[in-house]
Amino acid sequence: MRTEIARLDLGIRRRLMIGYLVGMALYTFIVVAMYPAFKDSESLNKLIQADSTAAALFGVSGSITSVGGWLNGNIYANFLPLIMLLLTVGYGASSLAGQDEEGTLCLLATLPIPRSRIVLQKIGAMGAQGAALAVVVGAFVLLGNSFGLAVSFGNVAAISVSSLLLGLDFGLLAMAAGAALGRRGAAIGAASALAAASYLLSSLAPVVNTVKPGRYLSLFYWSIGNGQITAGVSAVDYGVLAVVGVLLAALVIILFRRADLH
Amino acid sequence: MTAAIQTSGLGKTYGSTVAVSDLDLVVEPGEVYGFLGPNGAGKTTTIRMLLALQRPTAGGASILGLDPWRESVDLHRRVGYLPGDLELYPRMTGRQHLEWFARIRGEESLARARELSERFDVVLDRPTHELSKGNRQKVGLVLALMHSPELLVLDEPTSGLDPLMQHEFEKLVHEVVAEGRTVFLSSHELDEVQRLADRVAIIRSGRLVATDSVESLRRSAPQRVEAWFATPVDPAPFTALAGVRVLSAEDGHLVLRVSGGIAPVLREIAALEPLDLLARHADLDELFLDLYRGSEKAGDDAD
Repeated sequence: MRTEIARLDLGIRRRLMIGYLVGMALYTFIVVAMYPAFKDSESLNKLIQADSTAAALFGVSGSITSVGGWLNGNIYANFLPLIMLLLTVGYGASSLAGQDEEGTLCLLATLPIPRSRIVLQKIGAMGAQGAALAVVVGAFVLLGNSFGLAVSFGNVAAISVSSLLLGLDFGLLAMAAGAALGRRGAAIGAASALAAASYLLSSLAPVVNTVKPGRYLSLFYWSIGNGQITAGVSAVDYGVLAVVGVLLAALVIILFRRADLH
Repeated sequence: MTAAIQTSGLGKTYGSTVAVSDLDLVVEPGEVYGFLGPNGAGKTTTIRMLLALQRPTAGGASILGLDPWRESVDLHRRVGYLPGDLELYPRMTGRQHLEWFARIRGEESLARARELSERFDVVLDRPTHELSKGNRQKVGLVLALMHSPELLVLDEPTSGLDPLMQHEFEKLVHEVVAEGRTVFLSSHELDEVQRLADRVAIIRSGRLVATDSVESLRRSAPQRVEAWFATPVDPAPFTALAGVRVLSAEDGHLVLRVSGGIAPVLREIAALEPLDLLARHADLDELFLDLYRGSEKAGDDAD
């Protein structure tokens, strides 16, 4: 498969990507390096447990000083998904709607490339960006083994993949909204609102009983919200995230093939 | 022979706004076809429908015998397009644009792109956001032409070009047509189209108001008739004639605008024993302004 369009978009976003990657690498390193200072801190745990709902808002449930709690509470349950979604939703909204608003998309759309191929290449570019982020963060998390943060390669690899799939799903949602509405701002708004609702549903479910049955509707639950950092990512988790992704990708193709461009 | 462009009843509405309505056009291969109209008349929307960027809400089009939507890949291989509001990738240089297009258009197009760049003196080594509008437009022209398309669709091609480059552009258009290829160009400037096009279509408020050859439009343009007399004349008999407007009648100097037959006018003038007579076709400009403004019978009641 040809990759000109994917490479073009990656080139355009190179500086932004470098910024995200360097920032997240630094952040992850600090979180991991600080673990020895906090792993025996009873007071931090008490603080968290005193208001479990507030802690849940930040994706923390249970002990924060355990290995899983520390990584979830500082990276996988909040910061990584946030940055991942900024990246994928931002790109998803700009790759079709944004470039159409800027006026460059018509250059692509009048080249002899089917529109479906344009979409597939852009999805590929989104995957590459998300994968770079997940890999960099995962690599620094694995460094934690030298700081008493015992994590297995398998679990880190698995949650990296599930975080990436989560990002892709919402990125594809932004892409679909962009293809349907033709406006970048509206696409970001729609995807962010759904992501925020989905996040709250998953993170509050362990502490708020009325929310609990709704957690299955949240993509976060299938990605990072169900103890995946310690228990691993199940085939069902992967399956839900992947099926949603494939359906959304098909929707983007259908919408973009019909879309009026400028 | 398959028409380069053929539309039948082509239309586009956005909600309740009618952008283009019931458009019938035939552009023959090997001609320069001018598509004229004031800003906002529907020229760009029409072009976007021809290029499968927008889907018609009525009617259809056939480009080089292809259905734009179902055969868009073939179509885009054989058509070159310069958008009216051309936007390039701001951080990429002209050269990067050409090389990137060549990867998709085929490597042989790169040689042609280099040749064209030299000819148009295109600035290739600076990011396009640093270029003037004219210089960006030149990059856009090279991108539209580099694969030697059978049909060139140019939306306001010379906007931003200096006169020297406009001249070079016109030469290029003549060459393209001499090779049997077709050029469809939109403009709101008559001058440009007049110099280049064999035939024109004039569109106003989304509707076609005239399609004709430039020559025959010129012939159908109203005439301005001036006559001088020894004594002041009464304009009333002239006002009574069909297709005649009296522009002025002072001190034995009569100025008429005639869009119908000239014979009755000449008979009336002859009866009054004129001293001198001058008749000429109005500028094509005036005709176009009339059509733009939307008078029902062009040339009859404008001025």
